[in-house]
Amino acid sequence: MRLKFQRESLLVAPPQGAKSTSTLPEQPGVLVVSKHHFLVRWSHWLNIPLLLGLILSGISIYWASPIYQHNPDPSTGNTDVAADIGIWICAHVPGLHHYNSPPDWIYNHMSLGPGMLGLALRLHWFCAYLFMLNGMVYVAGLLSGGGWRSLLPRVTDFWDAFRMFRYYVGLPFAKLARREWPHPVFKTKYNALQRAAYFSVPVAGFLSAATGWAIHKPMQLHWLAALFGGYNAARVWHFWLMWVYIQFVVPHVVLVFADGWDTLRSMIVGWSTRVERSEVTANGG
Amino acid sequence: MEDKKNGDDSLQTYDKPSTELEPKKDIAESCPAALEDVRPIATEAEKPAALEATKQANADRPPLLPAGHEPRRDEEASPVAASSVSAKKRQSFFAERPLPAIEMAPRILRYRSRRDFLVFGTGALAVLTGAGFLLPQETLSRIGIHRSMDSPAKEWFLNRALRIDDDVAEALYSANRKVPTYTKSQITPLKNNYNGATPDPGYISGWKLTLDGLDSGLIISLDIRSIQARFPVHEQITRLVCVEGWSAIAWWAGLRFDDLLRAYPPMSQAKWALVESSVNLDASGNPDPYFMALDLATGRHPQTLLATHFNGEPLTVDHGAPLRLLVPVKLGLKNVKAITKITYVAEEPRDYWAERGYSRYDGI
Repeated sequence: MRLKFQRESLLVAPPQGAKSTSTLPEQPGVLVVSKHHFLVRWSHWLNIPLLLGLILSGISIYWASPIYQHNPDPSTGNTDVAADIGIWICAHVPGLHHYNSPPDWIYNHMSLGPGMLGLALRLHWFCAYLFMLNGMVYVAGLLSGGGWRSLLPRVTDFWDAFRMFRYYVGLPFAKLARREWPHPVFKTKYNALQRAAYFSVPVAGFLSAATGWAIHKPMQLHWLAALFGGYNAARVWHFWLMWVYIQFVVPHVVLVFADGWDTLRSMIVGWSTRVERSEVTANGG
Repeated sequence: MEDKKNGDDSLQTYDKPSTELEPKKDIAESCPAALEDVRPIATEAEKPAALEATKQANADRPPLLPAGHEPRRDEEASPVAASSVSAKKRQSFFAERPLPAIEMAPRILRYRSRRDFLVFGTGALAVLTGAGFLLPQETLSRIGIHRSMDSPAKEWFLNRALRIDDDVAEALYSANRKVPTYTKSQITPLKNNYNGATPDPGYISGWKLTLDGLDSGLIISLDIRSIQARFPVHEQITRLVCVEGWSAIAWWAGLRFDDLLRAYPPMSQAKWALVESSVNLDASGNPDPYFMALDLATGRHPQTLLATHFNGEPLTVDHGAPLRLLVPVKLGLKNVKAITKITYVAEEPRDYWAERGYSRYDGI
């Protein structure tokens, strides 16, 4: 890997003691900002296998008793909406007409597989405990690195989020029309949309764990289930919270690559050479 | 970790507006004198001192860079620092702080990046290996891995994880905590979820409950009439939760398991009940006796019933006539239908679903 330093703009001399008369060879340093605490970085990447494991095993568990069911289909006896979607996909997607089990298509492609509840439950608990541990590590990293301050929503976020949203919506058209389409300027670590996303995903993580416990222990923790509207409602919560991650991940990955190597690298090495983005005005909060 | 270790409070304004710079150990490696250059400048309120110290340092420092760079930095730094002095606003605790800027020697930056990429790459490989190790064989073959990855170590490991979850469930259990009860208007339909075929009702006429492992050393056999005549009836409207995820609220009536334990005390060292039904069938209708391990602590819970009635009527064959276990603090699969034998034992007995990869304690 070759590091691309912005040598011209960032060259600075190593600070010298006032009285020292250094005779060391001249070695200019590179100014970087430390962006992510190492606990944040580790827990960030660990979320990929853990969430993948949780979602895949979760849909396998869902198979055993789907929360979205209808009256039995007169011809097939099917009651599961997810199976209907699989049947529709196999009927309409070219090349899938001869798929051997259309009702299982969703479960064959978006879960560990149908008919493996016991195996899926084992993996789900395993990943869930690690996910909760990982969440604690993440919070510890945010607290000790001070990164939590950059995630807090602010009043100005409503307008700023709208500006960012307008920017993203207009960007493809501006590119097509070869028009200038300047990125809104923010003097904070994240823009308002990023902040909204990076704030809500940990909240979703917490709610997933809470609804998970409500479903897992609806008797001993019946107060927790009641908080989400009862056992059945907690299952619905738990299901839709999964979609929060899916909805988050797609633009997250696209935008990280669009933003460039420095952003992706900073989640591995912790620092960024984009010093100018670290400027926060005194009343930035 | 290094951020913490080296993160002293000395900050220094530099050419970029309000970018603060921490002298780091990395610089010390290339320039040992750097660590002497520690000026504590922390908050906005102390900015005048910061400005003063920076100016001094800049004045005192022997020019290391080409002369062109030095004055430009001074010119840019001063007005910005001065303007933040005039603001004199104390940052709130929740306000975002500037990211700590660090000056690093390129050599060290390259070394650290290489190290971090290697460490994270190794981690990614370890996770992939772990996933290959832990995923069900069926899932692996779907993504093109046909080599058998099943091993005793895998079973041991995943069952260990299940045991931890069971231990958590047991720790959460409280003998005094009752499960929520409902009103009759909240009752929902309960389907017959016999694992295999539903038994032929012919067994009901000759049905007897056998008790073994008693303190008396006897083997007791009871018919349903004598059970109903002897014990007081308790009613409850509770939720039955299946491991599959569905649940149903039903109105149950029967005797307390605790009352049976008092009437026919188990042997003193008994900690478990092996609850069996000999009438269960598999999917094709062949005998498939059901057996389930119940800890006696749960057996003594006031809401653990040996139910004889469901929604005001005697149990039907669908729901385990004439006597079924109703243990709402456990998953539905512990609520054995058509119990034919209860054996009290000291060691944890076999369990039908635990032998099929499910958890053992199943407390909910």
